[in-house]
Amino acid sequence: MTILIQDPAGPLAVGGVQLAPAVPALVSGKIGVLDNGKPNARLLLTKAAEGLATRIGGEVASVIGKSDRSGKSGRGAPGNNAATACESQVLEGLSKEVRIVLTGSAD
Amino acid sequence: MGENGSMEAEMHELHSLDSESPEALYAFLAEREWGDGLPVVAPTEARVEAMLGGNAGLGPDEVLAVLPPRGGAATRRAVAVNAVMAGCPPQVFPVVATAVRALGEQRLNLRGVNATTHPVAPLVIVHGDAVADLGFNAEVGAFGPGNRANATVGRAVRLVLLHVAGARPGPGDAATQGQPSKYAYCTAENQAASPWEPYHHSVGVDAPSAVTVHCGENPHNFHDMESDDIGRILDKAASAMATFGVNNACISGGEWFVGLCPEHAATADRAGWGRDDVASYLFAHARRPAREFRRQFDLLAWAPWMNDAADDELLPMTEEVGNIRVFVTGGAGKHSCVIPSWGMTRSVTLPLEP
Repeated sequence: MTILIQDPAGPLAVGGVQLAPAVPALVSGKIGVLDNGKPNARLLLTKAAEGLATRIGGEVASVIGKSDRSGKSGRGAPGNNAATACESQVLEGLSKEVRIVLTGSAD
Repeated sequence: MGENGSMEAEMHELHSLDSESPEALYAFLAEREWGDGLPVVAPTEARVEAMLGGNAGLGPDEVLAVLPPRGGAATRRAVAVNAVMAGCPPQVFPVVATAVRALGEQRLNLRGVNATTHPVAPLVIVHGDAVADLGFNAEVGAFGPGNRANATVGRAVRLVLLHVAGARPGPGDAATQGQPSKYAYCTAENQAASPWEPYHHSVGVDAPSAVTVHCGENPHNFHDMESDDIGRILDKAASAMATFGVNNACISGGEWFVGLCPEHAATADRAGWGRDDVASYLFAHARRPAREFRRQFDLLAWAPWMNDAADDELLPMTEEVGNIRVFVTGGAGKHSCVIPSWGMTRSVTLPLEP
């Protein structure tokens, strides 16, 4: 016997998210590193950014943690923990200072 | 969303199955990567309406929470669908709905809970009149198995996370190993055997019934079958807490839930100890030297005062005594538990919705 069942996932709360347009070409420009707070992330991301800078003729202009602009926390503090969101002032600052940001997620 | 916080009217999607057999349901769910791996009850319209029926006057399209990472709108109907699948009797639906509201609170940080590689699972604790009225087990075997209300409410919350939040292992839930409580994690406060006021009253929720959600690990058992000295009993709890393997060791803002069995709670009461005294004792005794923490971790998300501690200073397993939260659960016997936190999350206690 055919039955109808209801969808367990339900609707989405927001419409689809549009990705930012891709950078046309990686030629020069300032590169930023946003440390996601995981062990060795800053080291790995900075090395990658330096390698990229060498390839495209750019420079690593900013290496920053997710709450480094709040003035109330440092490396390893809750605001820089991988489990917390990046402070908006950090993102705003990076968007003004650099053209490309390297960051990471998970371990 | 609509002006009153509800979603604009949308038809809830229906799926057609050739059969209600367990095999057909399994195949349907597997094809969509839905389900928790166990058999489910088919969420037919009649069953979903019956589940919603206990909440007369509350709109089925009301959004209880928006759940990351999928950004799913946990409408009352979507939650009811999952409650049906989990096998909930309709009378416990308000508990599921209240727990889902709690999951949506920003301080709980569900995005992090689902994104982390830690095995964290949301623990649902039911308090007050609802425990007896709705058939929850707060006595022997309170964490399970064997009671329908406990088992199905815990499972329904997980199914909501899997389906509405999109917390599938891998893309939506990064837990390295997971843990058994990710199937179902619900218990109840044994108020009848507690010497203290109900837990929810102690945190300022003045309602006949309430629901707490704490995102943490499985319970870590401790036992003491011979002591009349509450300090000697709590020393075992303190030793279970003072371990470097839990996130509380490196994230000082994390809470601890301490589930005392009635007999351990009675020993505390006979000594004139209240809930706060138990928490204070654990805050004072669950400690390790600052040097050992520093040897174990390069990254310590600590309160500033802890960072300033001398190497020989004994530091607690959480930055303030208020982070140690005590409730009574279970039945006869002398086993209690501590439940570490994932860390970057705060428990939420809400009044039970009508």
